[in-house]
Amino acid sequence: MENIRLENLSKDFGGFTAVNRVNLEIKSGELFSFLGPSGCGKTTLLRMIAGFEIPSEGNIYLGNTEITELPPYKREVNTIFQNYSLFPHMTLFDNVAFGLRIKKRPKDEIRERVREMLTLVKMEDQALKYPDQISGGQKQRIAIARALINKPRVLLLDEPLAALDLKLRQHMLIELMNIHDAVGITFIYVTHDQSEAMSISDSMAVMNHGEIVQSGPPDDIYERPASIFSAYFIGETNLVTGEVTAVHEDYIELCCPDGTGKCFEIDSSFHIAPAPGRQITLSLRPEKIAISRSKPRAADDINMLKGVIEDILYLGTHTQYIVRVGKLKFRVFSQHKRVYFDDKALDWEESVWLFWHDTDSWLIEEIPSDDLYGEESGDGSRPAMQRYVKRGKA
Amino acid sequence: MRQSPQQHRLERRRNLSSWLLSLPTMIWLTAFFLIPYFIVVIYSFLSPDIYDVKFEVSLDAYRQIFSGEYLRSFLLSFRLAFYTTLLCILLGFPVAYFIARAGEKLRNTLLIFIIIPFWTNLIIRIFSWRIFLAYNGVLNDTLMRMGLISSPLEIMRTDLAVILVMVYVYLPYMILPLYSTLEKLDFTLLQAAMDLGANEVKAFFRITLPLAVEGIFAGTLLVFIPALGAYLIPQLVGNQRSLYIGQVITYKIKNIPRNWPMASALSLILLLLVAIMLLIMFYLFKRQRRRKWQL
Repeated sequence: MENIRLENLSKDFGGFTAVNRVNLEIKSGELFSFLGPSGCGKTTLLRMIAGFEIPSEGNIYLGNTEITELPPYKREVNTIFQNYSLFPHMTLFDNVAFGLRIKKRPKDEIRERVREMLTLVKMEDQALKYPDQISGGQKQRIAIARALINKPRVLLLDEPLAALDLKLRQHMLIELMNIHDAVGITFIYVTHDQSEAMSISDSMAVMNHGEIVQSGPPDDIYERPASIFSAYFIGETNLVTGEVTAVHEDYIELCCPDGTGKCFEIDSSFHIAPAPGRQITLSLRPEKIAISRSKPRAADDINMLKGVIEDILYLGTHTQYIVRVGKLKFRVFSQHKRVYFDDKALDWEESVWLFWHDTDSWLIEEIPSDDLYGEESGDGSRPAMQRYVKRGKA
Repeated sequence: MRQSPQQHRLERRRNLSSWLLSLPTMIWLTAFFLIPYFIVVIYSFLSPDIYDVKFEVSLDAYRQIFSGEYLRSFLLSFRLAFYTTLLCILLGFPVAYFIARAGEKLRNTLLIFIIIPFWTNLIIRIFSWRIFLAYNGVLNDTLMRMGLISSPLEIMRTDLAVILVMVYVYLPYMILPLYSTLEKLDFTLLQAAMDLGANEVKAFFRITLPLAVEGIFAGTLLVFIPALGAYLIPQLVGNQRSLYIGQVITYKIKNIPRNWPMASALSLILLLLVAIMLLIMFYLFKRQRRRKWQL
């Protein structure tokens, strides 16, 4: 059953289009995330659902009711604000009780429901404190209790963890998921942090320039990015452009120029069927690539490239290698498991083999625009990984 | 924690220097505030003479005050202070709110407009009100020309005129502290309240107003207390039938035979009343700050 439906939703701020014709359905009880860089329109979208902004165009439905222009206080939707916005002149109890007091519920009911909510967020013994006497994580819990006590049909969370430190953020993320399981209503979560969105969401939408670039379950978006932007914004990836040379039954052959005039061959499984001769982009996640000093055993479904290690970044859980193949640079993640091949650590300027299974790459029909490579390619090399700068004109 | 001797010495030196720095102020206040006030207290227990006082102890002044002779003036002054403060809050709040929510550039311009009246001498401003409100003054003239009234309104020399001018003079003293509290107010709190089901009116009374109490309190201090002892404005635009307590005190000293003890006693009673008012307000303020609903 669908819970929230956005229909052709747009918002203009004096010539600037913050949200551009968004169509979306969010299922009941889902934990849904909007993910995108700052300024992509995700917060505006949330504020339109909350009722703080009136859309320039389009409609919002909650269940079967249209709520597009309903004021915030008439919507069965509650918001967790980025800085929590607890009322500083009220005790935590009074903060949580606010919604029920506005609705003039009987005192007994208020007392009982507030206790219940405070227990849910594990703050029952702090009811008489004031917001300035508790920590950021605790404020967050009170904000959740204050919103949930109104039994909203949808809870909106606007970057709720942005103000917390890393450890607390991880902890609150699990807490949020538990609370979501306990209350069973729809959560709509807005964040620019892709790991947050990936770990918490049942489903998510990637946004850029006011539009939804891709939506679906997190693993789907990660493994099967529909655009260069999705591939780049979610996680890290190597993007290799090449020309389709042959299309076989279960794989295609690509010829990828390495920047020195030569061209290396890559095989890849495919979900789109481009004709030979077409330019296409291959997204290859750094953790899917194996790295080795010795040449691996050849096999039909394994791609192999020979390169030179240009940089090594030790990151604790894994090491990141930057490997130059021709003038292309590949980013490779390798975990520290010394159970096979060579035992000795790889070193700078060493020749290595990169290899991966041909089903571990993913084809994207877009070609990265020039600005995707940024200024870092000043030496003429074409790095296969750079920070994504701007969405390619498809 | 025990302090080391060095720390102890350092602390002592710090205390000493802060004492030394506040010494000039202390001397000033003692010489020109504490001692004069002490003289006022003594004078209030002496007997009047034509020009000065006779050094004979007397409780006549207090006896007369408590017999209710000046009750009307006290009440008039309290009424004036009350209305002035109330009108200043009602008129000043929307202005302060608007300025606090305006963009930075507009905000500074508006604040300058609030302060501009201070650049003109108070007496001149009061006299322009006299011209404005006079029987054949600008206001009456305009209203008559417009055909709204057939004979001039008698506003000048009434209590209404006094309140009007008082509000005019004291409004900035209310707006400025209100502005400084409202400027600090986090307006997303209002959104949070509306998100939780409060309409604009409820959000105002449950969030904005309680959080603006500090400003209202500061503004009230700045308006109510001076208004209570007002002399100049009642003297210039009021009438001699209703004398405010500030006027009474002045007359006791100005008119011959003088009555220093009475003037002193009246001042002290006024001071006492202000102190009581302040205590009540502090109490209310504190209760508002940390108000607990019955659980």
